[in-house]
Amino acid sequence: MTTPRASAATVIALVAIVAALFVLPWIAGRYPIYLVMHILILAVFSLGFNLLFGYTGLLSFGQAGFFAVGAYGCAKILLVVPNLVLGIAGGVALAGIAALLLGALSVRHTRIYFSMLTLAFGMVIYSIAWKWRDFTGGDDGLVGIPRAALEIPGLLSISVSAIERYYYVVVVIALVAIFVMHRLVHSPLGLALQAIRDSETRAAFAGLAVRKYRLVAFTIAGVYAGLAGALLPPLENTVTPPIAHWTTSAEPVLATLLGGIHSFAGPIVGSVLFFVIKDVIVRFTEYWLIWFGVIVVALVMGFPEGVMSVFTRRRRSARRQPAGTASQST
Amino acid sequence: MENIVFQGCVGLSLAMYLWLISAGLTIIFGVLRIVNFAHGSLFMVGAYLAYTFYGQIALPFWLAILLSVAGTGVLGLIMERGFLKRIYGVDEAYQLLLTFGFILILDDAVKMIWGGVFKIPPMPEFLDGAWMIVGRPFPIYNVFVIAVGVLVAIVLWFVFEKTWWGRIVRATAADREMASAIGVRVPRVFSGVFVAGAMLAGLGGAIGTPVRVAAPGIGTAMIIQAFIITVIGGLGNLKGAFVSSLIVGVLSAYGTLFFPVFELFFIFIIMVVVLLVRPQGLFAR
Amino acid sequence: MNKKLTGLSIAIVLNLLLLWTGAAHAQCKLGVPAIKVGVQGAASGPHSDYGRQIEMGSTMAAEEINAAGGILGCKVEIRFMDDENRAATGVRNARLLVTDWGAHFLVGTDSSGVAMAIGPVLAELKRIQFFTHAATHRLTEELVAQKGIREIVRVSVPVYQDAIIAALIFKDRKDVRRWATIGADYEYGYVSWNLFKETLKKYRPDVEFVGEAWAPFLTLDFAPHISAVMAQKPDAIFATPWAGEAVQLLRQALIQGVFDNVQVWWQAMGGSVDVLEGIAGEVQKDRFKGKLWATARYIHNWPDTPENKAFIERFTKRWKRYPNYSAETTYSAFFVMKAAVEKAGSLDTAKVVDALKGMQIRNPGGVRTFRAEDQQFIYNVPAGRPMMDPKYPIPVLGDLKIFQAQDYYRHPPFTPVSIAK
Repeated sequence: MTTPRASAATVIALVAIVAALFVLPWIAGRYPIYLVMHILILAVFSLGFNLLFGYTGLLSFGQAGFFAVGAYGCAKILLVVPNLVLGIAGGVALAGIAALLLGALSVRHTRIYFSMLTLAFGMVIYSIAWKWRDFTGGDDGLVGIPRAALEIPGLLSISVSAIERYYYVVVVIALVAIFVMHRLVHSPLGLALQAIRDSETRAAFAGLAVRKYRLVAFTIAGVYAGLAGALLPPLENTVTPPIAHWTTSAEPVLATLLGGIHSFAGPIVGSVLFFVIKDVIVRFTEYWLIWFGVIVVALVMGFPEGVMSVFTRRRRSARRQPAGTASQST
Repeated sequence: MENIVFQGCVGLSLAMYLWLISAGLTIIFGVLRIVNFAHGSLFMVGAYLAYTFYGQIALPFWLAILLSVAGTGVLGLIMERGFLKRIYGVDEAYQLLLTFGFILILDDAVKMIWGGVFKIPPMPEFLDGAWMIVGRPFPIYNVFVIAVGVLVAIVLWFVFEKTWWGRIVRATAADREMASAIGVRVPRVFSGVFVAGAMLAGLGGAIGTPVRVAAPGIGTAMIIQAFIITVIGGLGNLKGAFVSSLIVGVLSAYGTLFFPVFELFFIFIIMVVVLLVRPQGLFAR
Repeated sequence: MNKKLTGLSIAIVLNLLLLWTGAAHAQCKLGVPAIKVGVQGAASGPHSDYGRQIEMGSTMAAEEINAAGGILGCKVEIRFMDDENRAATGVRNARLLVTDWGAHFLVGTDSSGVAMAIGPVLAELKRIQFFTHAATHRLTEELVAQKGIREIVRVSVPVYQDAIIAALIFKDRKDVRRWATIGADYEYGYVSWNLFKETLKKYRPDVEFVGEAWAPFLTLDFAPHISAVMAQKPDAIFATPWAGEAVQLLRQALIQGVFDNVQVWWQAMGGSVDVLEGIAGEVQKDRFKGKLWATARYIHNWPDTPENKAFIERFTKRWKRYPNYSAETTYSAFFVMKAAVEKAGSLDTAKVVDALKGMQIRNPGGVRTFRAEDQQFIYNVPAGRPMMDPKYPIPVLGDLKIFQAQDYYRHPPFTPVSIAK
């Protein structure tokens, strides 16, 4: 996927969005802030997922496992040392280690076996969260997790217990994560991953250490999942086992597919759609599942490339690029 | 000790039930290479239909089961012909997503049609009772499940190994391009297999109604079990699914007897081990 | 007609209308357009009937309150949301209801896990929730008594009902010495069993606990659990799976001949309407041989008061179904809320909580008395055996054993209950 130099319109749009994010607490009530935080958390989660899926071609059904490791890790740390920096960093680190270890085992396989293996790993983590009552609180989970202050001893100490303050923490971290991912996918690593996705044999012949690259992608995806997870406990003050369940793993899958797997912004747009659609639907009817399902089916049948494809298609036709470039889907 | 024998028998009926719910998933994957997430929802629909035909309309039990199986088959046909077929060329992931969408739709649809309360019909007379095995009452119903499971296994074996249609299906599964090249109507085969798989799911759901409730969401509970069995046995491998059902069913039963504490875990660990050591499954050729 | 007269009459009518609506507005002494109550329950998945019952109870309560002039002249407006039995959703909905929709009060919640997650958030949002189903002792013993979260008020009987009352009933059964459990494999199951064992042992040091089997949420097949436990030859079974799982468990136990071999089967929430409906056929044929015992958090055939009878009549007329316990507790919660707001004369959370002190209120389920130490409303619910009664189309609990709730509710200081298996 090549990046044409961002058009002026895109830059303006991006600046406007970022500005809106920063201004939001001043103009909107608590609930929209809360919703946006959840959207950003899902966006980070989904970006990591899509590095693995859209760019590397590996469909993981167990990302919620790493999300949970990040969340429980952060929660356990905060319950002992109420330092937000430590909590989030710790959660991310633990998730990264878990991803590295499980990834080493998983990337030996591809396609359906890979998917099933990740599903199984995710559910093993779920089982541990549910059963290891002494450590994880079992089905009750961990409660009373403080929205600890941002502290670096000697440097700064900012209280973020007000939800508006914590909102900025989430926004800044999410924007940094998005930026980093953008650099990653447009780096040689990103190209290598796509080459592996498009043709494993060709990539191997070209000298790429296929398995190693897959492991890198898997670990980064796990780190992102862990980061997203770590942002959750200070927000909700509780963590419970369902965050490790495969139905939670389905959320970044759905969000990414809604937004478009072959575009960088797809997971982000999809996260917005995911929450907004559900939020709107539940205001009108208790039968939200069926409407959500209908939308999913309609999107898959009508726009298998996701919502973003509407934009990328238009741009592509405007540039009159030859068909059959690497960015076209299989 | 009699308790061990008895628990083994219970495990056997558990295994046959697991077999019923994973057979359909296996043949669909084996031939179409689709992991049908909505398999659990088809199971659920089968259960609801059996409740209506047997519990509400009071048809004879065997007829209710037959109609439920047929009804689920029709639903499967709609799913395959109406939707899945159109996206065969697209990435596998979309097929998964589509079947996931079906789960959401069906979960609410059954709630809208039958209401949110769970449904259970009366117990059929001929199944109500027990035979003494090692001095303890073993339910006739469980014997029935074992019988149905074994029957389905025999029928499937016969169809796939001994009939002309079975040979065509196996050829398509092995190499669909080649099969198409020699004149097999692959889309027809796909539809046929999907419907057969759907009917097996419906059968599993329908057979369950005397002792299990039909409720929204029971499909999601069961799909994971079905996946595990199918993976351990080898995706697309019917014999493997049968044997792994036996293993998982009997082991679960003994687990409950001897280790009441750990359960949940157990079955996923087996799945992980199998996938790591022998991903084609324990019984791949 | 004369133009002037038409104009005048229109003006008069308009003014009267304005006066009337303005007056209706002015009647609300709390200065809000309406009192908003957010209601949550599990409305999707296998236990969706419980959420539905919560919705039915709250809708009917609001309608009746409004028909009688509202609360201090103010209309009650409710909004129901599905918490999907998930903590994350329940918390998110609570926030939406309060910060976005402007709820003054919250009511409901089936799942103990969801309740425990919402509890601390109530303190942050400064809103009272009247809990009407979630049974965990930890909600009141830990979050209220220990942590002092006064925004939690429980209106339904907690797990003491499932566990302790059973011990009180069966302590006098000399023929019952060997107990086993087929338990729900989560906190509710562990706590009930532990509380039961603890209490029973005090009265009957001779009893033995001979077997246990644990069934996770959404178990479809209890056959291995039943046979594992029956292998130990118990006299009695203590069973905690509820709703549809209870019906499945009982059916599967019947065909394994359990009711020929045990003396007692205690099905904790077996008195719930959905379970009674599910086992009606078997109850009619006396398949349980009088050995099945159960309780609930309210049963439709007790107390035998005109108030309860009238409630049942209105409910069945409105919804064509009998009220489940979560419907009655939710319905009563609204009247508790009404009484408290009227006494406080305000919607301010702290004032309303204070107004609850010393409250005793008559509901369909009986007389509820507020206990300030853990902010629970104490009321009596009997236990009994499911049987048919010609006055009701669905089974009732008969042969009732009535105990005073004060006698079996735990009191502060609360010692922790083991949640180990």
